Amino acid sequence: MKTMETSLTAHSGKLIGSIERRLFLKQGLSLGALALLSGCDLTDDESVQKLLTGMSRWNDGAQAWLFNPNKLAPEFPESAITKPFPFNAFYSVDEVTLVDGKDYKLELDGLIRDKKPWTLPELYALPQTSQVTRHICVEGWSAIGKWSGVRFSDFLARIGADTKAKHIGFKCADDYYTSIDMATALHPQTLLTFRYADEILPPKYGFPMKLRIPTKLGFKNPKHIMSMFVTNEYPGGYWEDQGYNWFSGS
Amino acid sequence: MKTLQIVAVAAILAAGTWARAADAPGKPMKMDEPMHGEMKKKSMKKGDVRKAAEKKERDMKPRMDREQAGGAKK
Repeated sequence: MKTMETSLTAHSGKLIGSIERRLFLKQGLSLGALALLSGCDLTDDESVQKLLTGMSRWNDGAQAWLFNPNKLAPEFPESAITKPFPFNAFYSVDEVTLVDGKDYKLELDGLIRDKKPWTLPELYALPQTSQVTRHICVEGWSAIGKWSGVRFSDFLARIGADTKAKHIGFKCADDYYTSIDMATALHPQTLLTFRYADEILPPKYGFPMKLRIPTKLGFKNPKHIMSMFVTNEYPGGYWEDQGYNWFSGS
Repeated sequence: MKTLQIVAVAAILAAGTWARAADAPGKPMKMDEPMHGEMKKKSMKKGDVRKAAEKKERDMKPRMDREQAGGAKK
């Protein structure tokens, strides 16, 4: 069995390299923002925050412009899977939210033609696909896992989502919330997943479903999704509203 | 001697069960406790996420209602 560290060593090469390049670019942009701040009173929190938020939103636009919807994230053999796959959240593993699968219904809102809620058996009956990809956390670690579910673009087409809208937001059972851009939602590797390692998602990995986006950082992969909505209004997200970059992807 | 062995095995099994139960999900979240993980600022508490989610809901709902009403008029 591979530990997280050995798996990292074996597979970190190109991807970590490209992430480092992106980080360098982002840090360069942040340096630019700091340079702009030289004329401001740093004790004026509100104006500093406003400027930094503006800079971050500009950064989102630049990343969205650079995003190649046809470029795939690396996939790995099952032998590369990190065991055990790490648990990570803003709470401890014993506080993981338990969702009752029997009564569960995925709620839909916003610019969607058919807002009928979806039960788990209905979702499980959709055509499923699997991927072994690397989850990269903004905290500085990464791990490889196998997720299975429905291609998100197929699901969006099925529910009649307005795919010309800008954002898709997610509300989760543990109160977490986030949102993503439509181009990433339509990326072929973005999956609405119901299984981890060929088993129904255990609570600690996000039962009943997790949006798996291998082109984005881990905090953009919401777990325990209870509802989703399509909108042109900017929905932000919990960490994003604390100053983390909204796009956070390649 | 045999009794001792039985007691030892029982104690090990009980400890294992307790350890698993301690890690089992589903305990109510302690909202006033500091957040876990490396993304947080020091002052952040687990309950902050719920408060922020409620505030976001209040902010987004009227905007989305207007958006959908506008779309329906077209």
